[in-house]
Amino acid sequence: MTPDPLVKPDLLQGTLDMLVLRTVADEALHGYAIAQRIRLLSGDRLAIPQGSLYPSLRRLENQALLKGEWRTAPSGRDARVYRVTAKGRRRLDAELHQWRELSLAIGLVLGTG
Amino acid sequence: MRWLLRLLRRRALDQDLDRELRAHLDMMTDDLIRSGLSPAEAGRQARLALGGVEQVKEASRDVRGTRFLEDFLRDTLYALRSLRRSPGFTVAAILTLAVGIGANTAVWSVLDALVWRALPLERSDELYALRHGPPSDEDPNYLFSFLRMGRLQATLPGSVRLAAMSSAGRLYLATGERSEPVSAQLVSGNWFQLLGVGASRGRVLNEGDDDEVQARPVVVLSDAGWARLFGRDPGVVGTVLRLNGALVTVAGIAEPGFDGLTVGQPVDLWTPLWLQSQVRFIGNSSARNADTEKPWLPQDGVSWLTLVTRAPAGVREQAAARLATRYRTELLEEYAQADSVERIRGLRERLQLEPLARGFSPLRAQFGDPLLVLMVSVGLVLLIACANLASLRIARGAARGQEVAVRVALGARPGRLFRQALTESLTLAALGAVVSPLVAWLGGSGLLRAASSGSRPIPLALALDLRVLGFAFLLAPATGVLVGLAPALRAARAAPFGAAATGGRVAARALHRLPLGRLLVISQIALSLVLVAAAGLFVRTLHNFSRVDPGYASEEVVEARIEPRAAGYRYEELPGLHRRLLDAVGAVPGVRSVGLANLGLATTATRIGGYRVPGITRGPDWNGQGQENYVTPGYFATVGMVLLRGREFTDADRNGGPRVSVVSQAFAKHFWGSDDVVGRRFGYEQPTFEVVGVVRDARVNAIKQEPPRLVFHPLSQGPQEYALSVEARIAGPPAEAVRAIRAAIARVEPNLPLREVVPVADLLERGLSRERLLARLAGVFSAMALLLAAIGLYGVVAYSVSQRTNEMGIRLALGAAPGAVWRMVLRDSLGMVVIGLGVGLLLWLPVQGLVRSLVFGLEPGDPATLTVAVLLLTVVGILAASLPAWRAARVDPAKALRGP
Repeated sequence: MTPDPLVKPDLLQGTLDMLVLRTVADEALHGYAIAQRIRLLSGDRLAIPQGSLYPSLRRLENQALLKGEWRTAPSGRDARVYRVTAKGRRRLDAELHQWRELSLAIGLVLGTG
Repeated sequence: MRWLLRLLRRRALDQDLDRELRAHLDMMTDDLIRSGLSPAEAGRQARLALGGVEQVKEASRDVRGTRFLEDFLRDTLYALRSLRRSPGFTVAAILTLAVGIGANTAVWSVLDALVWRALPLERSDELYALRHGPPSDEDPNYLFSFLRMGRLQATLPGSVRLAAMSSAGRLYLATGERSEPVSAQLVSGNWFQLLGVGASRGRVLNEGDDDEVQARPVVVLSDAGWARLFGRDPGVVGTVLRLNGALVTVAGIAEPGFDGLTVGQPVDLWTPLWLQSQVRFIGNSSARNADTEKPWLPQDGVSWLTLVTRAPAGVREQAAARLATRYRTELLEEYAQADSVERIRGLRERLQLEPLARGFSPLRAQFGDPLLVLMVSVGLVLLIACANLASLRIARGAARGQEVAVRVALGARPGRLFRQALTESLTLAALGAVVSPLVAWLGGSGLLRAASSGSRPIPLALALDLRVLGFAFLLAPATGVLVGLAPALRAARAAPFGAAATGGRVAARALHRLPLGRLLVISQIALSLVLVAAAGLFVRTLHNFSRVDPGYASEEVVEARIEPRAAGYRYEELPGLHRRLLDAVGAVPGVRSVGLANLGLATTATRIGGYRVPGITRGPDWNGQGQENYVTPGYFATVGMVLLRGREFTDADRNGGPRVSVVSQAFAKHFWGSDDVVGRRFGYEQPTFEVVGVVRDARVNAIKQEPPRLVFHPLSQGPQEYALSVEARIAGPPAEAVRAIRAAIARVEPNLPLREVVPVADLLERGLSRERLLARLAGVFSAMALLLAAIGLYGVVAYSVSQRTNEMGIRLALGAAPGAVWRMVLRDSLGMVVIGLGVGLLLWLPVQGLVRSLVFGLEPGDPATLTVAVLLLTVVGILAASLPAWRAARVDPAKALRGP
């Protein structure tokens, strides 16, 4: 059906937070949609352990990086929709920068850069 | 502070999360249905993908960062709910803990006020008292002459000052018509300044008040004295009062909270040293080549001042060294003329600085050890109470085994269960602690009353302040942990399925022996044995003292204590006064005979003289002291002292005639090695006195004190001796005689202050206040311990019987005689009692040392007392176990086998 997900439930906490933050950066999304979007964008390589998603959302919200609001979807269903705050955007920029540096460095060492 | 907001909104947050997760599941299910799954299969897949909803919720809650507090709140509420479900247990537990914590706090508050608390002075750790005498701890001497103080001060650096104070003496303060006894202390002008005590009104004494020529005589009242004597009338400052006849002006009121440097002996007023002769002050003093009837200040031979100083850490060493050097020089001068034996003895003396931070306290010496013993006892009672509550909670916990098992099955972690069980005990302890200050306050003042002699309570300020409350609130969590630890450990070990699957029977049966509960009962019995044995010793000590023959007829003698010196009688008026007193009291109906004495029986006042006997060679350790008294003819017959040899004093022993003495057996044996000493001579320097009679030894000071070496002189041959005590031998009830004697003295001498009229037996009783306190309180504590241990044993046996109903039923059905079942249960309980007693006897070994100094007439390991204690506990153990054993024997086999 789908390829085996690369990422197991023990996905690094910080990494999951970064993925979630990046996913909602373009557009406000609810939890289910975030999971779907990550899976889609990764070409089915990253399956978010859904059980970890909500603690991650809560954590980001507690740090005021995300803001959640109840909205009524076009389907008529209520959903809690998250968008990135200004603080969250700054954090995302910092994290992305750091990630690029890190992956470049690792790539250089491994000889794949 | 956002976490606080989250904590307060946690219910709304939980609902939010729930709604969100439901939406997630719905959306996913919809998607799966669209992809072709049946609705049921789609729902299942969606739930699988999300994982357990509850786990997700728990994980999301953890993220909130308020988990610990939430759990604590929830546990506390849960504990309160579960406590409310069993109000009987809860109320009993809270009361037990409140009494336990309160009683501990009470003893602690008294111990603290008496032994540990520092004086309410700034930097009290810098304060020292000068102490001299032999280098050993016995017989310390704090008295110096005024002139010696000056010489010592001269050797000190300018920054270190000495201040002087007399002992607190009893003077009479006349305000208008009233004349009231007050506790007065004479102090140097710099005393208040050195201690750092100011005035709340007016001023305290200063160095200007030391000027005998220029300064007006003033007094400073203590705050408590001001309240007691003048009802806090602000107008009293500046008024003129009469103190033992001398006119003095009230200069001011000292700061509240300060009532002198002696704990438990509050001072009403202070006045400058030079008023000593004007107010005819008599306090603790020692005289050597001096005339104590002349003013004391200029006489180097009268030592009556205690010297205090303030020496910060940096200068203390130097000050101490200089004082010691100067003191040594003085000793060398003083003993230059003395013979070699006296010089060796004198030159052993040393001067030291003794820390004064906690003040002086004769009460400390008297009650410090007993209070420590009581503190340990009351602590043991609390331990026993904790053990009771712990085993009760274990039994309850076992009954709730099913509930716990279900929770374990639902995924509750051991740590969580442990915390929850502990929270319940801590909640109990906290509730107990809230009630305990009331118990502490009542108990503390009750304790002081129990320790006080007669009707006068010990004047000790027992503040229910932060120190005391802090103790209670530190003790509370400790008891909570003690009560809760064992049950909590048990709860944490609960197995998930056993109890749940079998409806509690399996777990219950495994628990029926309750090893922890048995252990608790054994320790309760061991601790109770220690307390009961201690109480037994103290009760027997008191009894032994009451059986001691004082050597006089204490039951039939009433003593009137008078103060002619304070009233200002002159020496030439004394013979007339003495005659009138003898006649007036002798004429009282019911009085059979009457005598006068310089010092009364069983009072705290004693007077010591150093005597020599011709032909006796003395080593440096020879003690030539005897306790002196001046008495009238008829004194010995009146108080009931037995004349062994020779004669009593008679009217023929006149002033100017040959000096005669009556000595006690102890005195005769000490000096001459025999009591056949009529006709022998002795004296201070020269052998001026002739022994005309020998009386049997008598414990004239206190029952507890070995009979001192007594020397009696005729009052007629001491023209400067005041009779301070009228002794009357009475027939009939003392109460009437006391009233009649009081009236008779007031009639003939209306101006003579009458300190008290009291049966000598009562005075002797006062001297046993320590023993009575110990006997009473140790008795109460051991009764509490016994009761608690009995309840504990009963509880454990009853529980075990109720859990073994099945087994008993089978035994009875198979033909066991009820008597056999009864015996089986009883044997089981007695096993615990015997082990407990064995442990208790082992515990007794170290306790012996603690009580050794407090018992009289028996050894701390007294076999009779221990045997009685062991028997008592065995009987109590059998009684406590009998009821459940009897119930076990009456089990109906059919009913038992059908099950509960």
